[in-house]
Amino acid sequence: MKYALFIYEDESLYGPGKNGPAIQQIVAKHMAFNRELGAARLGGAGLTGTSSATTVRTARGQQAVHDGPFAEAKEQLGGFYLIEAPDLDAAISIAKKVPVLQDGSIEIRPLLGP
Amino acid sequence: MISSARDRVFREAGGRIIAALVSRFRELALAEDSFSEACARALEVWPATEVPRDPAAWLYKVALRAGFDALRRRQTHARFALRSHEGATTDDDTEAFDALVIPDERLRLIFICCHPAVGIESRAALALRLVCGLPTREIARAFLIPETTLEQRLVRAKRKIAEAGVPFEVPAVIDWPDRLDAVLSTLEVAYTKSHEDAAGTGPHAAYALEVLELSRTLAQLLPTEPEVLALAALIHFAESRRPARLDGNGEMIPIADQDPLRWHRPLIGEAAAFLARVPKREQDQPRVMQARLQAIWCARRSLQEPPPWPEVLAVYDSLLKTRDDAVVRLNRLVALAEVSGIAAATAEFEAVDGRALGDFAPHHAVRADLLRRAGRVEEAQKAYGAVIALVSTSAERRWLIRRANELSGAARSPISPGPA
Repeated sequence: MKYALFIYEDESLYGPGKNGPAIQQIVAKHMAFNRELGAARLGGAGLTGTSSATTVRTARGQQAVHDGPFAEAKEQLGGFYLIEAPDLDAAISIAKKVPVLQDGSIEIRPLLGP
Repeated sequence: MISSARDRVFREAGGRIIAALVSRFRELALAEDSFSEACARALEVWPATEVPRDPAAWLYKVALRAGFDALRRRQTHARFALRSHEGATTDDDTEAFDALVIPDERLRLIFICCHPAVGIESRAALALRLVCGLPTREIARAFLIPETTLEQRLVRAKRKIAEAGVPFEVPAVIDWPDRLDAVLSTLEVAYTKSHEDAAGTGPHAAYALEVLELSRTLAQLLPTEPEVLALAALIHFAESRRPARLDGNGEMIPIADQDPLRWHRPLIGEAAAFLARVPKREQDQPRVMQARLQAIWCARRSLQEPPPWPEVLAVYDSLLKTRDDAVVRLNRLVALAEVSGIAAATAEFEAVDGRALGDFAPHHAVRADLLRRAGRVEEAQKAYGAVIALVSTSAERRWLIRRANELSGAARSPISPGPA
């Protein structure tokens, strides 16, 4: 099955432009994790901070463009992986190894469709 | 009475049949529907006076065929191949399959139902439905929710299991501790629910017996897992005391005041046998210690024997080292008050920061009891007021209200039992 792993962390840990020493540290860990994933990795990327986010919202047929992320929360979406795993247990074992700087959550979502 | 004979067959064989169907079809809903169809067929064709010689094998065979038929219809209608089940959908196959031997796949089914990716209350409900064959009506009653709510919860849980890709296998070694813990905590939640209301005669009694049965089944299927044995022991010990938990007025009787002669000895024997199989080196596991606490109480033979508070305190002391939470601390204080006196327990109680425990009934109950015994009447009355407002089970409310009213002596403004 194909799963998306969404990484939620407190982005303020990485500094305003996500370019401080913390980002160097976590990127190195992601590189190592990518090597470990090998063929199980189908894709993925890190994201810039939510300060660069723009949201297009459609409500009752009206579209409006907003500054900022879809939702304000303590932890923000900071990156994602697409992986291939035989089942949820395998996806959970992979998710447990996704590096986070301190606290964080990895949301596991199967992709829709075959 | 014939309908109850059939129902008994459906119930008793249901878990194993559904488990075997699940491992065959790799789909909970299909397994369940096929079994229901087989039961409906049985009601039509079984003679009015008896059931077949091997009713379980009959049901299994009919359910298998119903499942394969449904799969075939699905394939023809939707024209897509089933990912999880290929090539085994012929009648010949069904016939060739030896339906007289129903493989015991219950362990696999338990692990599927109790996957940590499913919400804990849904896990319990799903296991009771599929493994124990408990009707949704009864599960809903035990969970104190409307049947439709429970049914929706079950549908959601089954969908989650299918869509998230929960494996239909017994977990691998690497996942074992997490997955087993999810199973055990499911049983704990299910049993706590059934134990909450001490009444013991209503739907909860039957429900508690199902959880007891599930713990026994799990101990048979995993006979060397210390925590499985410990939980089976704990549930058997706790259930053995059910006959003595209420007085004639439906009021809770605290464990130290329960008459051990009214406890159910055969269950205590079974519980002790489970506990005896836990290796010595595992004695400090929290679940094992919880079971040992129960064992200490259940070793009491009569009210003439002094309550075993010193041993209870000793176990809580060591339990606190591995599981330092509010429940353990409060229970330990109850034992400490008996062993070292009210002053010692009160001093420790006051050292605990109670701010986070504002809505936690046991916190107020312990406080009320300590204040009452210290003769601090007014504070005790307030504390009883706080705990009574938080407690919903009638037996415990009655007991607390009596205690509170005894305090006021003249009972100038007794707290009324209200709707319980």
